Amino acid sequence: MMEAVPRARPAASERDTLSIPLQVAGALLFVLLIPIAFGMRWENFQPLLQPSALRFLSIGVLVTLIVALVAIGLSLPLATALALGRLAKYALIRWPCIGFIEVVRSLPLLLLIFYVNLRIPGLGLFEGLNTGAGYLSLVLTPILARAGLAVTLALTIYTAAVNAELLRAGILSLERGQYEAARSLGLSYWQAMRLVILPQAFRLIVAPLIAQFTILLKDTSLGAIIGFIELQRRAQILYQRDFNPMEALFLVALIYFVLNYLLGLSSRVVERRR
Amino acid sequence: MNSEYWQLIGQGTLMTLWLTATSAVLSLLIGTLIGVLRMTPVVLLRTLAINYTEFFRNIPLLTVLFFIYFGLPNTGLRLDAVTGAIWGLGLYTAAYVAEVIRAGLGTVSKGNTEAARSLGLSFFQTLRYVQLPQALRAAIPPLGTLLIALLKNTSLASTITVPELLYQAGFVGDRTFNPNILLIAGAIYIGLTLPTGALVNMVERRWAIKR
Repeated sequence: MMEAVPRARPAASERDTLSIPLQVAGALLFVLLIPIAFGMRWENFQPLLQPSALRFLSIGVLVTLIVALVAIGLSLPLATALALGRLAKYALIRWPCIGFIEVVRSLPLLLLIFYVNLRIPGLGLFEGLNTGAGYLSLVLTPILARAGLAVTLALTIYTAAVNAELLRAGILSLERGQYEAARSLGLSYWQAMRLVILPQAFRLIVAPLIAQFTILLKDTSLGAIIGFIELQRRAQILYQRDFNPMEALFLVALIYFVLNYLLGLSSRVVERRR
Repeated sequence: MNSEYWQLIGQGTLMTLWLTATSAVLSLLIGTLIGVLRMTPVVLLRTLAINYTEFFRNIPLLTVLFFIYFGLPNTGLRLDAVTGAIWGLGLYTAAYVAEVIRAGLGTVSKGNTEAARSLGLSFFQTLRYVQLPQALRAAIPPLGTLLIALLKNTSLASTITVPELLYQAGFVGDRTFNPNILLIAGAIYIGLTLPTGALVNMVERRWAIKR
């Protein structure tokens, strides 16, 4: 629910990077320190590591990932439309976009999820459509349920509004000459945007954009509150059975950490390739 | 709507403000400490500080709050909901603050630090009198963004039964069968974030380093 803060690049001499083995060793040390510091017990981890529990959690991982990816995919075009709308010449287009972006950005995501869940009709459309007991249908059922669609929709709207501002900043930081040159070469507004402006703007904001997607992935956990059975909710179900809240939540935190770490790694790969 | 309900919404708003203020102070203190630790020459401290930020930036706040409220009682540490929420929000936001402070320390020119050291100031004196004052002033705009994010994040405290704005709005909504109460809560959130943004801009204009 944060907004990505673009990082200023520190000077080379002050960069606090560690070598890769040291990084891994440090991460392992940290991960080991937490259970020791809080006195977690190995017996309490055991029920979580049984095959049935792992399968139960793995469904949650897939549900979380799919919802996050769908919301990312849907939010990108919406963010682009909102950013272009906010930069439009016509006040009739500009002001609704400004209003939408500013209002959605100022609301807590949880409130947005509650409201979408309660007020948008038709979210229950696919409920009960998928009743198989196979692995795949167990993954699809919570996503197609009312709560799943509500979370996806709310995350899409929220992320689009935040990313619209990022993209607008990216577009504004391009030289004005780029647009003028494109137009004077005979490209239409849409061609200029599609071929010249947007590719450059997106390349500028890759890092904060992916940071925002990390936040989106974390925020899928808010679905647990309205009954969307994803990773966090599944951890709660498990610890209510085994009475090991600390260990279950710690394990889930580690899973979220790994998922987000991989997402962050992809940002580094994309950054290097540009 | 009943005046009693308005009173609940008012109390919720005050609780939201209280949570924001206290956890902001807490996260600024912890975050500055961790941001500084990331610059120390001691490898172990640096490693721990880096892992602290990486860990908290990559796990959901909801998991942190649940860990504190439902998990910690198993160790005998029983925090009440408000205290737990303040610590959860504070520790979580501290990771983001540490990133901002680190970036701010990065903007302090190397020559400044070297001059301070060669004048005979110790590492901590350099930090206290030369680096941090500049770093904090450079960090004002991103810290403001974090403050607004924190204000919105306090809404998650409702999940561990802290009677803040969203909790009270949900309660009133359930009592009156009217989910539109959420819109009132939303309007109050907007009414809180917009002035905060303006305040941050004012502070920035007043304190920013003029170059």
